[in-house]
Amino acid sequence: MSLLDLLAMLPILILAFGATAILMAGAWYREPLPLLVGGIVTALLAALSAGLVSPPVPEIAGLFSAGGYARFYTILWSLLAAAGLMTGSRYVIEKRIGAGEYVSLVLYAAAGMSLLSAAAHLVGLFIALEMFTLAFYILIASNRGCAMAAEAGLKYLLLGAVATGFMAFGIALIYAASGSLALPDAVVLLSVETGELQAWGLLGWGMILVAVGFKISLAPFHLWTPDVYQGAPAPVTGLLATGSKGAVVAALVGLLAMSGPVWKDLTDLVWLLAALTMLAGAFGALGQTNLKRLLAYSSVTHMGTLLVGVLCQTTEGFVATTFYVVTYVITSLGAFAVIASLADGRGEPMSFDQWRGLGYRHPVRCGVLVLLLLSLAGLPATAGFMAKFAVFHAALQSGYIGLTMLGIFASVISFAFYLRVTILLFQPDEQASRWHQGSVFEHAVLAVCSSAVLVLGLFPGPLFDLIRNILP
Amino acid sequence: MNALTSLPQFPWMSLLILMPLGGALLCLLHGKRPADCRGLALATALATFGVALYLFVCHGQGSERWLLYEDASWIPAYGIRYVLAMDGIALLMVLLTAFMQVSAILLAWRVERHVGSFFALLLLLESGLMGIFLAYDLVLFYLFWEVALIPMFFLISVWGGEQRRRAALKFFLYTLVGSLCMLVAIIALYQINGAQTGTYTFVIGDLLKTQLTAAQEGWLFAGFLAAFIVKSPLVPFHTWLTDALTEAPAAGSLDLTGLLLKTGIYGLIRVAFPLFPNATASFLPILGALALIGLFHAAWSAYHQDDIKRLLAYSSISHLGLVVLGLAAWQLTAWEGSILLMVTHGITTGALFVLVALIRERTGTRSMQELGGLWGQAPCLAALFLLFALASLGLPGLANFAGEILVLLGTFQEHPVWAVVALLGVVFAAAYMLRLVQGVIWGPAKTERTLPDLSMREWLMLLPMAILVVWIGLYPAPFLAPLHGAVATLLAGGLP
Repeated sequence: MSLLDLLAMLPILILAFGATAILMAGAWYREPLPLLVGGIVTALLAALSAGLVSPPVPEIAGLFSAGGYARFYTILWSLLAAAGLMTGSRYVIEKRIGAGEYVSLVLYAAAGMSLLSAAAHLVGLFIALEMFTLAFYILIASNRGCAMAAEAGLKYLLLGAVATGFMAFGIALIYAASGSLALPDAVVLLSVETGELQAWGLLGWGMILVAVGFKISLAPFHLWTPDVYQGAPAPVTGLLATGSKGAVVAALVGLLAMSGPVWKDLTDLVWLLAALTMLAGAFGALGQTNLKRLLAYSSVTHMGTLLVGVLCQTTEGFVATTFYVVTYVITSLGAFAVIASLADGRGEPMSFDQWRGLGYRHPVRCGVLVLLLLSLAGLPATAGFMAKFAVFHAALQSGYIGLTMLGIFASVISFAFYLRVTILLFQPDEQASRWHQGSVFEHAVLAVCSSAVLVLGLFPGPLFDLIRNILP
Repeated sequence: MNALTSLPQFPWMSLLILMPLGGALLCLLHGKRPADCRGLALATALATFGVALYLFVCHGQGSERWLLYEDASWIPAYGIRYVLAMDGIALLMVLLTAFMQVSAILLAWRVERHVGSFFALLLLLESGLMGIFLAYDLVLFYLFWEVALIPMFFLISVWGGEQRRRAALKFFLYTLVGSLCMLVAIIALYQINGAQTGTYTFVIGDLLKTQLTAAQEGWLFAGFLAAFIVKSPLVPFHTWLTDALTEAPAAGSLDLTGLLLKTGIYGLIRVAFPLFPNATASFLPILGALALIGLFHAAWSAYHQDDIKRLLAYSSISHLGLVVLGLAAWQLTAWEGSILLMVTHGITTGALFVLVALIRERTGTRSMQELGGLWGQAPCLAALFLLFALASLGLPGLANFAGEILVLLGTFQEHPVWAVVALLGVVFAAAYMLRLVQGVIWGPAKTERTLPDLSMREWLMLLPMAILVVWIGLYPAPFLAPLHGAVATLLAGGLP
């Protein structure tokens, strides 16, 4: 690894070394606020360096790419880490969680997600995936006093371990079949006739798909999602729902965009996964009476829709998927930030009984929540609509009419359960109690998320153009 | 002189859309002070009406395809443009929207809960409606189509009656299913056209030239039809309307029946018919049959209602059946009649909804069993009720008659049988309207009480409507004049 490689890795190095420094500082210095601010500054610095310092080499040690696409996601995940720290600040301070550990784990996770989105080698993919998953194991269970959080952490750990196993075995099989771990080669060699070994390669891809399915909770591998989302503290759930899934999808798009149309044999399987996921998420959400569980199922539906974009295997599809990831990250993070900002000594408002009539007690934040939910549902003039529009446009262009109709059907159901929440928020209820008024950090995150949702909904053109230019 | 005329025209249409939006934002910001909100909302609505009236007077008489046209790039990545276009039909609908919205805001004057939000939603709705009537790019049209749903959803679900949550959800999901079908059809049409011409665009005028196979045309037409028929609503898809209208707050009912229903029919005229002429031609008989069934079914249901608001809801469906019948006849006179009837129905039924709200405020009931004898208790109110009820049943000399007679005359030239059957339906309308009048204002008073007669604000609301009803009934020509060119163009296929 040369000096140029290191320069190309600068944003990730800032995240990782910043995280380590804050971890060390946290061991001696117990005041949480400076550590949190330090973490936020580190994350913003990483985003800035990713945007401003152009990488001198296109690839780092053959493991990770340093192209525009990787940089784009590095910026996104660094900003996400900053937002996650901002929404988590009150949680860390009030629950007396070691600020050093929390901040460093979030930054490590961001570094892992950035590396995963940049993976150009199966080993790099594996390392990056483990890097941020490990951070999440701890973050989920960070509130040691809470049994639900411990249960959620354990669930995520066990299923994560299974997924890791699948991933490793899949990579081994692909290596056996193709003789390469570097990404375009591993895929391209598979597509060339390699005799009976090709079957092993396909099996390997299938196993990687299962691991991906666990990570981004595709049906039927989605059952852990509601439990973990419910148990984890909202600031962590916000990161888990957005970054950990978005990074895997980003890696998937990167792989496919690099490797050309080689997924032919898996297309039917992915079709089925997408259809199942959209429907399972939509129907699962319909019966929920807990906002965090509802958002968990809604994220399942969204992953199904994303998979439709991935399935298209066209530039249009990849552009749409990337745009969808960005809008989904902003919207979903905002929704969890609303929950986090309301949390007080009683915990977070979760069950519908707690949310009833809250719109009159906290009109601004509930108004923001309604906007974000409508964006998740895909109402025009919000970012969610443009994202769905782009995905369905790509799907119709590739001839997936049936899948599009299924997606539309899932959208109708999604509207039903999102609207149920909005009705609930503005249902007159004298007993609705006041919750926390929220910190400056939390309000800042909400302001950024809600204005981004509107701006991307009304003027999505520049972002579409940017994505089209950076796609590998 | 040349330099002056080549200047870009003042964006009047954008102003029509943005002014209510700005008013809505101001109302939200002043939510803490109800009196300010009322004043702000009324000022915004009046200003918007002023602009609409100015356009009607000064730009209403053009011989070109479009009286006004605005075009700007919006989302180049998908060839989506910000195109607004106004012909005579749109002009009339815009004028109706601006006019009714003033009444709606006066009607909402007494709302006590969350005043700022209520007026903000009313103004947002106005903005969305203006957008629907003016948009000439399909994505823009779809955006306004959905944006208009949200305020109505909240108006019903927060300020509505007993069953408001169910009604609001039903209203939203019914119309949503239709509009999502339309969205798929929009994207598909865009791709087919783009593949043929090489330029991807959503502008309706450019999509008119798309070459479609019969199967493609049928499916796409069905997608658009799903949205418009549910919204109109034609009979098998009308159940959401009666619930929504009954549960909505007074100003919401006024907007729903007077304006929102019109968007479905307007969509047929502006979007579905011109884009798919062949599919339309083969669908017209079915449309006519559906319209006739709706006309009778709704009239029959109206006759059997006890709740006067529900009765009016069914009467709306019945009237819109006649409007659609006129369209299905595909004939110049019938179309002009249909569009005029849309406008007059908006005014007369809107006024009746206002009066029902006033009666409800005074007596606390909408049931005909408990009402009666209003003539003695509140004579001015009763007189206006009689006037609008008679207008609604199509008494010659009042507004609806002008539209109805044109529809029937035009339909008779093409399909005499339809016209004769429809005439019977008009008799039905007389039956339920007279029953309504009998039950509410005549007969013995069921309870001894003194009711306050109309207040100043209520006169302000109703008098302009009354004047319009008589004016259009006696001299509809100024309102028909802008329609000629536009209707003729649309009947000829929508291309200039």
